[in-house]
Amino acid sequence: MGDIEGSPGSSMHGVTGREPVLAFSVASPIVPTDPTAKFDLPVDSEHKAKVFKLFSFANPHMRTFHLSWISFFTCFVSTFAAAPLVPIIRDNLNLTKGDVGNAGVASVSGSIFSRLVMGAVCDLLGPRYGCAFVIMLTAPTVFCMSFVADASGYIAVRFMIGFSLATFVTCQYWMSTMFNGKIIGTVNGTAAGWGNMGGGATQLIMPLLYDLIQRFGATPFTAWRIAFFIPGWLHVIMGILVLTLGQDLPDGNLGALQKKGDVSKDKFSKVFWYAVTNYRTWIFVLLYGYSMGVELSTDNVIAEYFFDRFDLKLQTAGIIAATFGMANLLARPFGGYASDVAARRFGMRGRLWTLWILQTLGGVFCILLGRSNSLPIAVTMMIIFSVGAQAACGATFGIIPFISRRSLGIISGMTGAGGNFGSGLTQLLFFTSSQISTAMGLTYMGIMIVACTMPVTLVHFPQWGSMFLPPSRDVVKGSEEHYYVSEWTEDEKQQGMHQGSVKFAENSRSERGRRVASAPTPPDATPNHA
Amino acid sequence: MAASTLLFVASILLSSFALSCYASGTFSALQKSILLTSSPKSGQVLKAGEANITVTWSFNKTYPAGTDSAYKTVKVKLCYAPISQKDRGWRKTKDELKKDRTCQHKIVKRDYKPETDSVTWTVERDIPTATYFVRAYVYNAEEKEVAYGQSTNDGKKTNLFEVEAITGRHVSLDIASVCFSVFSIVSLAGFFYLEKRKGAASQQK
Repeated sequence: MGDIEGSPGSSMHGVTGREPVLAFSVASPIVPTDPTAKFDLPVDSEHKAKVFKLFSFANPHMRTFHLSWISFFTCFVSTFAAAPLVPIIRDNLNLTKGDVGNAGVASVSGSIFSRLVMGAVCDLLGPRYGCAFVIMLTAPTVFCMSFVADASGYIAVRFMIGFSLATFVTCQYWMSTMFNGKIIGTVNGTAAGWGNMGGGATQLIMPLLYDLIQRFGATPFTAWRIAFFIPGWLHVIMGILVLTLGQDLPDGNLGALQKKGDVSKDKFSKVFWYAVTNYRTWIFVLLYGYSMGVELSTDNVIAEYFFDRFDLKLQTAGIIAATFGMANLLARPFGGYASDVAARRFGMRGRLWTLWILQTLGGVFCILLGRSNSLPIAVTMMIIFSVGAQAACGATFGIIPFISRRSLGIISGMTGAGGNFGSGLTQLLFFTSSQISTAMGLTYMGIMIVACTMPVTLVHFPQWGSMFLPPSRDVVKGSEEHYYVSEWTEDEKQQGMHQGSVKFAENSRSERGRRVASAPTPPDATPNHA
Repeated sequence: MAASTLLFVASILLSSFALSCYASGTFSALQKSILLTSSPKSGQVLKAGEANITVTWSFNKTYPAGTDSAYKTVKVKLCYAPISQKDRGWRKTKDELKKDRTCQHKIVKRDYKPETDSVTWTVERDIPTATYFVRAYVYNAEEKEVAYGQSTNDGKKTNLFEVEAITGRHVSLDIASVCFSVFSIVSLAGFFYLEKRKGAASQQK
């Protein structure tokens, strides 16, 4: 029983469906500690840490956490580094609004592809090399900004730098090799949120660097190019740190260890099939495009917007833009926490309502941001918008683990790609044409957020219900087992491949909310000691 | 809680409308009482950091005497021609002077003299590549615009000149860029190769 090593989706292995999104440790009776292991933190039988000790750098678990999220943070810094400097770059390169918009689209498009490839790379080379490869091979693209002389060069370089966001996948994958499944939700959520903060930090860092370099005597059109060297150096430094200080697994590196476990892997075509034929997958791909996607779009346009609309200095516009992205520090974990709190009482229905409320609120305040004519009001609207959108991201990943057990990895990957796709689409529609001012663009984006969040009302789980419909009263169809085991064919069930799903189904009964105690056991559920 | 949120939102909306209510000066209300000429010929291309522009301006005597009694200071600015404003909303011309973005580069600020005044200015290195004309705004004692004069016609079509900006690129930057890029790729390849060799060696033992 249990996981098949290396199978697609096994990077999220251990996720049982019962862990809350915000757990910092798991106690011994639930997961036994391995007493023979000599690590700084208590570990389980696979030597994965059972405790998430945030301010420790102990090798290998916490050190991996910090290397991983800082690498991801660095890539966010370089991907959005151009955004706060656009007022200078657009004059230097004689860009039109269309050029600026297209570059924004390009910056988020590259990673759609690179994230999909990165999963395979992690399986083959390990997350340590996956991370190091991406971060060190995109360092030259960051340095390339010093060569850029026109619009097409600018768009091409931003596209290539965007590939570096594949470090999201290495980050999540690496965390799942180091931390026990019961706390992986918190670990991954924190790593993702703190990485995303890079999009905010860069709005602060780049104008400051630009100002500093100008004080040393450089002209504006040279100073911004020199400023790009700093993110480039960060790439190289983090790459070297990852290679020298990091390791793939708690016991060592991938190449040096023998692979344990079953040879039989789950077939990619099957896993893919169950992901794409589940309509909920597509609804969440769309939804994430309007929570994470709008966060990325806003990272690209907000500094320039404040600079132009309210006549601010570059650094001031940068500080305001930074508060948008930095809200991730707390907003994203808050979304996950809110989802958990709602689930305790109302189960999955509570999670769906929480997501809908947070994301719609984000959309409403985005509309208000576009319509704000004074600076203090605009900043207030922006902050509430950022909390809504980022909390919605956290709440989304409170639901995703329940859509499918077999195809969880692919669904997570597709959702992530949907985020970037939504960002590219939104920037293309509303921030590239000169017919639409940026203020109107923000308003339209807010309207689109509200509209594209409506489909969450259609997500229905037979065993738990949906936003407006109660769960099915059919004893068989309304059971968690029926939902999760239906992803396996009879042949596969005979081979026992579905056992992990059965265990997951059992653990997921908490999604009934307060009704758990009264849940009848379905008569023909496969007993898990068979 | 919903009621207080509604009240909060409503009050914010109302105050945002209130703030946009105060009047400000418009371009169409200004008198075109300054005659201004600039040295670049129509279509001439000037190199930023090197070329000079000489601007000469004076009060247009065809206006009644005493019109310039309130004139205190003059600001001469470099302004974008319509072709350089196309698809670039950050350079848009608006009648309301507070929101107008046509003239973003200051050439000189002087006290107003009714006699002819002039300045010779080297095009600075942060002037972007674009098509320009020159305009002088005259201010009264309250720092409000009262008059103007420009080197082009009302349609902003005649006597426009171009500036060719510096690229901002330097050979030393390019070399540094290449060096760091090569370092990054080589160190990655080096690590990979060394670890593969260590792995192969330990398997042979």
